Amino acid sequence: MTENLHKRAQELSAKALIEGLQPAEEAWLREHRAACAECAKEVAVLQEALGALRSVAVLVPRDLASRTQFRVRLRAQEISKAAGGSHVLWIITAASWLLGVFSAPLVWKLFAWAGGNFGVPKLAVEAGFVLWWTVPALVAVSVVLHRRVMTTGAKGI
Amino acid sequence: MTEDTRALANGLQKHDPELLDRLIEQHQHRLYRYLLFLTGNAALAEDLFQETWIRVLERGSQYNGKSKFESWLFAIARNLVIDASRRKKMASLEEMGDPESAAPYDPPDETSTPVLQMLVSRENAKAVQLSLLKIPAYYREVLLLRFHEELGLEEIASVTATPISTVKSRLYRGLTALRTALAEGAA
Repeated sequence: MTENLHKRAQELSAKALIEGLQPAEEAWLREHRAACAECAKEVAVLQEALGALRSVAVLVPRDLASRTQFRVRLRAQEISKAAGGSHVLWIITAASWLLGVFSAPLVWKLFAWAGGNFGVPKLAVEAGFVLWWTVPALVAVSVVLHRRVMTTGAKGI
Repeated sequence: MTEDTRALANGLQKHDPELLDRLIEQHQHRLYRYLLFLTGNAALAEDLFQETWIRVLERGSQYNGKSKFESWLFAIARNLVIDASRRKKMASLEEMGDPESAAPYDPPDETSTPVLQMLVSRENAKAVQLSLLKIPAYYREVLLLRFHEELGLEEIASVTATPISTVKSRLYRGLTALRTALAEGAA
């Protein structure tokens, strides 16, 4: 038997375990193993080792699962509280926005009056009005984002 | 997506603690074994076991049910192992060298090996010592996922975030390393 044949047998043995073989390859390997005691023995040893690997029993520390369950429940409570807080925040933000919408004409008049009386440029008055309108939403979004980062951590999985 | 997977994905999205309890019970052996073989350190494996489940709770909404839950779980655990390795400036899986470039192999931490040997049951200790401890971690990992956890090539690729061709290559090299380790053990 040449080295090349042994090498091919080794490669096909590995392929059989990893990807599976074509019928022709399988037949060739079977024939080779029948004629080559060395390759047959090597495959048997490898199969035995993989069998041992499959049956490896690792002892899990007795209370590891219960300790983990306890920690997970605590964290779940924290997440639930944080989510509850977020709902309240969204409701307040929505209410604030609605109030802003309905009070906008009055507030615009107030800004215009203040601008006229104190000599504030029109651009500054308009910018102030827009800020007054958007700041609550911006604050809410930053708080929500900050809480989300604190809740789930900064990294991906 | 099957009905069970959909229910699982829904439960995870709702951070259902009852579901998490069941999953921890159900997957504790596989996950702990995977972490132990990957880290070779029982204390670290325990810490990462707990962190993995906390991460499953926090990131439950990211599980879409398209892949097996086990694959997703192992991927989370694997990333935590890599993070821990980087934090502790230990040789991480990635830092141990590119297996495809036949970089020199760093043997496992000597202090961790006896722990692993103690934790496997007596009748299998010899086989485990022969087949796993002498093999680089990146090969040990794919061998474990393929032949112990019986994951498919695509699932292993998903867990290890590598192309299937790399998984195959690591498996082939892992089997060669295993063969060599067995031959050395028998000598």
